[in-house]
Amino acid sequence: MRWHIALGTVAVVVIVVVLAYVAITETARMESFTNAYDSRRIEVGAALYENNCRTCHGPQGEGIPGVAPSINAPDLFNGERLMAVGFSGTLYDYIEGVVAYGRPVPSAGTSYPQRMPTWGQEFGGPLRQDQVDAIVSFILNWEDQALAAAGEGTVTLGEGEAVGVDVGVSLPEGDPRAGASLSQSAQAGCSACHELAAVGPAWAAEASQPGIGERAGQRVAQSDYSGEAETAGQYLLESIVNPYAYVVEGFDASLMPRDYGERLTAQEAADLIAYMLSLR
Amino acid sequence: MSIFNLHLPILDEIKEHGLKTTVRDRSVDVVTRLTSGLSPSDIRSILRDDPPGRPNPRLKPHSEGFWLHMKPTYYHQLMDGVYPTFRLGWLSTFFFVFEIITGVLLMVYYTPSPAFAYENMLTILGNVPFGRLLRDMHRLGAELMVAVVMLHALRTFLTGSYKKPRQFTWATGMILLLVTWLLSFSGYLLPWDQLSLWAVTIGVSMVEAIPPEIVGQTVNLLARGAPEFGANGLLRWYLLHVVAMPLVGIIFFGVHYYKVIHHGHSLPPEDEEVGEDTAKRVPTDTRVYFFPTIATRELFYTVALTAMMVVGSLFIHAPLEPHADPLITPLHSTAPWYFLWLQGMLKLGDKVIWGLIVPGVLISGLLVLPYIEVGPSRRYGDRRIGLTAGAVTTLLFAILSYMGSPWYAVQTSAEQEAVAELVPETHPGPLRLSDWNELQVGTYDASAYEAAPTEALHDLLEEFDHELARIPRDERTDHEGIMVIENWQTGLKKITLRVLWTTVADGNPGEYSQTLYLHEDSNYGQGE
Repeated sequence: MRWHIALGTVAVVVIVVVLAYVAITETARMESFTNAYDSRRIEVGAALYENNCRTCHGPQGEGIPGVAPSINAPDLFNGERLMAVGFSGTLYDYIEGVVAYGRPVPSAGTSYPQRMPTWGQEFGGPLRQDQVDAIVSFILNWEDQALAAAGEGTVTLGEGEAVGVDVGVSLPEGDPRAGASLSQSAQAGCSACHELAAVGPAWAAEASQPGIGERAGQRVAQSDYSGEAETAGQYLLESIVNPYAYVVEGFDASLMPRDYGERLTAQEAADLIAYMLSLR
Repeated sequence: MSIFNLHLPILDEIKEHGLKTTVRDRSVDVVTRLTSGLSPSDIRSILRDDPPGRPNPRLKPHSEGFWLHMKPTYYHQLMDGVYPTFRLGWLSTFFFVFEIITGVLLMVYYTPSPAFAYENMLTILGNVPFGRLLRDMHRLGAELMVAVVMLHALRTFLTGSYKKPRQFTWATGMILLLVTWLLSFSGYLLPWDQLSLWAVTIGVSMVEAIPPEIVGQTVNLLARGAPEFGANGLLRWYLLHVVAMPLVGIIFFGVHYYKVIHHGHSLPPEDEEVGEDTAKRVPTDTRVYFFPTIATRELFYTVALTAMMVVGSLFIHAPLEPHADPLITPLHSTAPWYFLWLQGMLKLGDKVIWGLIVPGVLISGLLVLPYIEVGPSRRYGDRRIGLTAGAVTTLLFAILSYMGSPWYAVQTSAEQEAVAELVPETHPGPLRLSDWNELQVGTYDASAYEAAPTEALHDLLEEFDHELARIPRDERTDHEGIMVIENWQTGLKKITLRVLWTTVADGNPGEYSQTLYLHEDSNYGQGE
């Protein structure tokens, strides 16, 4: 019986020591857990954004002209946009509200033809509150990037003479690096749709399929090819400025905008083509 | 003496005997009243193991107090060792009380609503001091309680203690086993994470099979509160967990323990004549008194087990998976381990036969076992058939439990399984646990793991490659694993795992891919 009492006393001491240890480390642990969970919320938000928001707001929140505004933009984070709409709450509340309720009417000064749909379940949308919160966390995580990018120059479209829709036009020397950058820019908007592959842009090589440069050459040589291009470069130009001259089987003949001939300069078109021809 | 005409006898006492003596006498009095008859010197002599006085003051708490009125004043010395009880009944009681205490504390921070429940878990883990410890202890205690209660039933069967006159004790014990299962199972749903929702959904899905259809549908609706689990379902299982089942448990515990004491603890089978029950006849020289021996030991067990639970909870953490989502079934979802045998049976075929009739017959069979199996001898040697049947049943339960696990007869694609080894859906897994900074941006081929730029990538790609190599090549061949890591946001990487293959039959290429976003501070592996 004595050892029962002795060991029991030891056990009491152990309990006290462990509880004291937990008490001392608890504040740091709780903080670390909260921090970790906030980060995981961003991860969840990233996946939800990919599935629900990207088709209109772009893969990196850069927005798509004529579809939805940029949300990876400095004016959202520096307070200008909140001021413009007269919102006095926090940015978190603003984004949460817009995601959860949607936008039944466009904001003053904007003229997007589509309305932001309602996403919150309590207002008839598909997402639960925790999912809305996760998307907000993900969007807020763009803050550093958006503010840092504010100082940098951006790619613009249409300065200079437009390239037009003639595939036989002679183009200046193209710069593949400039083309790569343009292809990813919000202004050109290519990646909003052409990024449906599991990895990266759809024009890159994937699995057994070669890059778009190689593919373009094969298409021109195909027997069912119905366009006017004679070389891979011309085929690519035609696909951009006159996209319905030939539509690859399985694709909808209404998705690609018809106005790139008017929006791109000859130099920009040449850059894009040089970039794409380099992908094999 | 009187102050303002108020007469206080204690003041007379102080005047007569002095302050020190009076305080001492009064303290002794208070202790004696609280212990229903044990003075501090009695307690001291108990702890010192001195011989009791005459009349034995240590019997008074049994005769006068509430808490010990059902506890025997002495036990047979044969019951004093670890064998034959292994203290399993006592342990079950300990865990029951332990769960009530930790459970009540957790209730303070819990709201039974899908809108708040998961958020409450995050609060308990991130904003309540000792919150994680409480949750971990409650969870660990629950698992151990189920195990201990099941072992208790098994032990009772092995020593033949269910036999006459203890048939009813066994039957109430079987009900307590069901209560324990339901207590633990109903607790599963409360955190409202993926584990909760799917474990309980799988568990409840079999009531749907009850014939006729209208009954199955109604019971299913009652259990879920709606066609699918939601606010009503959660509230129902919460009430089951915190009110109904504990209440039933307390009532049947009372009956069970009363019966145990009424018949006496059954002695080891080899120490009794066949067909006799001598538990109540305890000769004076074989008695072990509750005070001091049993009481100090139970006190010791209580603190030692509490210490084990506290220490154990530092290392074994209750899981918390992502928020419950009725639209996404995680790969490898299972019922809780003690219901795996049931899930295993369901894989054998018809839901009605294997999900209801067979388990129903089994459990009712166990309930009435002592009324059917009436062989008089409790000796092991005389119960060869019974013990063999018991061993076979236990083995069958183990095999069925294995069959209930996801490793048996679950049809998922081998490619998906290979990816799930790196990015499992029920626990963090190697990719989430890797050093974030070592996940360098780039495209990597699993087969070229030797060339990986960092150690973490090397290990991940090697595992990926090995998992792919294990896929049988009879239908699909030429498997190629690709891992693509992209910078996605500040502190956030997008990782895509792709498996490419060629179908043997027609030579067409195929692909499976899964995407994961990983934040630099998400710090998996905190136990959740």
